[in-house]
Amino acid sequence: MVLLENDAFLTELTRLFQKCRTTGSVVITLKKYDGRTKPVPRKGHPETHEAADNKCLVRASDGKSKISTVVTSKEVIKFQMAYSNLLRAHMDGLKKKDKKSKGKKTKAT
Amino acid sequence: MPYYQTWEEFARAAEKLYLTDPMKVRVVLKYRHCDGNICMKVTDDSVCLRYKTDQAQDVKKIEKLHGKLMRLMVSKESHSGAMETD
Repeated sequence: MVLLENDAFLTELTRLFQKCRTTGSVVITLKKYDGRTKPVPRKGHPETHEAADNKCLVRASDGKSKISTVVTSKEVIKFQMAYSNLLRAHMDGLKKKDKKSKGKKTKAT
Repeated sequence: MPYYQTWEEFARAAEKLYLTDPMKVRVVLKYRHCDGNICMKVTDDSVCLRYKTDQAQDVKKIEKLHGKLMRLMVSKESHSGAMETD
């Protein structure tokens, strides 16, 4: 699993979408992250980790390669804008509801 | 696990599930360009909510819900979950 910076993650995600246009799927996972880097200690052992409340983990995979990034509250606005644009730009292979365009001249698909 | 039929119900249930336990819930989005469909799943490993679509108009809704949940995850939640204030 490759951990990247937010910008590098978005670049790699674009590449994943482009790779999977003809075959395969892109899976994106989103999860709240409290910043722990060590496993959860067993019962009776002291918890030496201070939970951070402002991070989330974003992972993406095309089945073969995996990438991930951590987004904090400071970066979320920028990341979310770029991420939304990316999703909207690439998830375009879906059916469009064209109730109204029956009367108009249909453009070539 | 059944797929939700309406986006409204799915979105509401997803947000509700997230607010009950933010740390446990994960959101999974699977996009298949070759088949032309998207499947979204929100789960806390005991309850699983799913929504599948092949409509372009749902992309915007999915992307908005993703953004909303992302922002919830990075915000310091002072209303749900335990916040120890001294």
